[in-house]
Amino acid sequence: MVDLTVRVGPTVLKSPLLLASGTCGFGREVAEYEDLFVIGGICTKGLTLMPRLGNEGCRTAETPSGMLNSVGLQNPGVHAFLRDELPNMRSFGTKIIVNVAGHDTDDYFRMAQILGDPSVPVDVIELNLSCPNVKEGCMTFGASEEGVYQIVKGVREYTDKPVWVKLTPNVTSITETALAAENAGAGAVVLINTLLGMAIDIKSRRPVLQNNTGGLSGPAIKPIALRMIAECDQVLHIPIIGCGGIASAKDVIEFMIAGASAVQIGTMSLLHPGICEKITNDLICYAESESIERLSDLTGTLLRW
Amino acid sequence: MKKEYRIPLLSNVAVGSATHVLTFRSKEIAAAANPGQFVNVSSDLFLKRPFGVLDTDPEAGTFSIGVRRIGAGTGYICDAVPGTFFEVLGPLGNGFVFDQTKRIIAIGGGTGIFPLRFALKRARELGIPSLSLNGFRSKSDIILLSSFEEVADQVRISTDAGDFGTKGNVVNLLSELTKEEMKDAILMTVGPEIMMKNVAKWADGAGLFCQVSLEKRMACGIGACLVCVCKVKAEAEGEPFRHVRCCKEGPVFAASEVIW
Repeated sequence: MVDLTVRVGPTVLKSPLLLASGTCGFGREVAEYEDLFVIGGICTKGLTLMPRLGNEGCRTAETPSGMLNSVGLQNPGVHAFLRDELPNMRSFGTKIIVNVAGHDTDDYFRMAQILGDPSVPVDVIELNLSCPNVKEGCMTFGASEEGVYQIVKGVREYTDKPVWVKLTPNVTSITETALAAENAGAGAVVLINTLLGMAIDIKSRRPVLQNNTGGLSGPAIKPIALRMIAECDQVLHIPIIGCGGIASAKDVIEFMIAGASAVQIGTMSLLHPGICEKITNDLICYAESESIERLSDLTGTLLRW
Repeated sequence: MKKEYRIPLLSNVAVGSATHVLTFRSKEIAAAANPGQFVNVSSDLFLKRPFGVLDTDPEAGTFSIGVRRIGAGTGYICDAVPGTFFEVLGPLGNGFVFDQTKRIIAIGGGTGIFPLRFALKRARELGIPSLSLNGFRSKSDIILLSSFEEVADQVRISTDAGDFGTKGNVVNLLSELTKEEMKDAILMTVGPEIMMKNVAKWADGAGLFCQVSLEKRMACGIGACLVCVCKVKAEAEGEPFRHVRCCKEGPVFAASEVIW
């Protein structure tokens, strides 16, 4: 029998498959299509201290092999999450990773204090330093080494729980922001969030998205994610969680070979709810056919030319 | 547990110059779909396309949708030959409410008429008297007239060009209604946003309850991604408005809730 469990620092996941933040809400809808008990964990929709209505107008545009979104962190706020969603999420029997998005540094610290409290049953805090669809916070911190370091270092003061840092690919050098996260005490980095993009309506000559720009996700960004993971794997000592257009077991294996300890499935789970079950079955078939006893043995086994 | 179905197209019939009625085999969707609900259908592009259910035949295990050729995705679907397999999620969303309905006036424009055909059929099954008002650009754009006559007690048509039925739009048809026809009526409307907005305004003035089926660009269709939100009135104090999911809380809303 193939061992699908993976470790991300002290956190043991039943499977390398996680549902990515922003693509599964708080699990309610996906749970109607997918047995969440068998996956490694769920990353919540990005939470802010106060509720957010998100961006107005058109929020999505289709692209070749992908999509743009500019939801703008619509969420009920951290307090409503704790009251209305977390108890239900716990019933899924899988790890809960809370994605935390701040307007400013204090927002991140305050939420780390609330969600990082040992009495709050969340397993991991994932710092969203990468959402491209809000005017302040998030990607503005994630775009620089100083910003990443400042937030992660500060958050570490408030919690002993594992802190993962979801980084933006919209930077010149991903290894620099990833190293800043590691040096500040991050438990893992999540690579990558969406790439900033645009779609244009040729009749109106306006951007399709009312926010003008949005985040590109889906298989279109997979090669970029793989390259960034492989780059970071050469310099980091902390685990990497891969994310970016994963659609199949083959994709999962590629991400693990590149250096990912676990992966997040996002856009493709939106398109095909129930996809994790298929990927899990295919991973088992692959491992059995290749005589791989522990899937985690694949991590970081890239043979460079 | 719900699942994404992979189902075959059984027939594809052109019902207008750029409009097709497609029938698929799925006993699950045929058995579960209610008027106003939709299915999310794959094409050869990245995202699925949402379509209101036009008809179901639970005994035969089939359901139909109407598709207008708008872009490449709908073009692929309109050109599909029987036997082509599609990935389909559904039925999705909340449809029309028929509780305590004494009379239905269904108001449709363009492709909005498709889900109303299903609503009128359900009204007939429930013994609810119905009146169907459909608006088109011109006589040559009129589709499914006999199909509506099969299920509605009365069908009236308006054309912008005035070459068939009442000249003007569906609001002109509404303003021609008699007091008796309006008495205790519930309105159901699907069509272009400007049309639904005007119907909702008319219903408000006439003191009639109106259900509108909104349309937004969607991705998942199941309520997970939050890209298809609609603006509706606030519930809590201090809240300017709410963003609710067209695919999950809708697509059918009480018109009085909608912020146009």
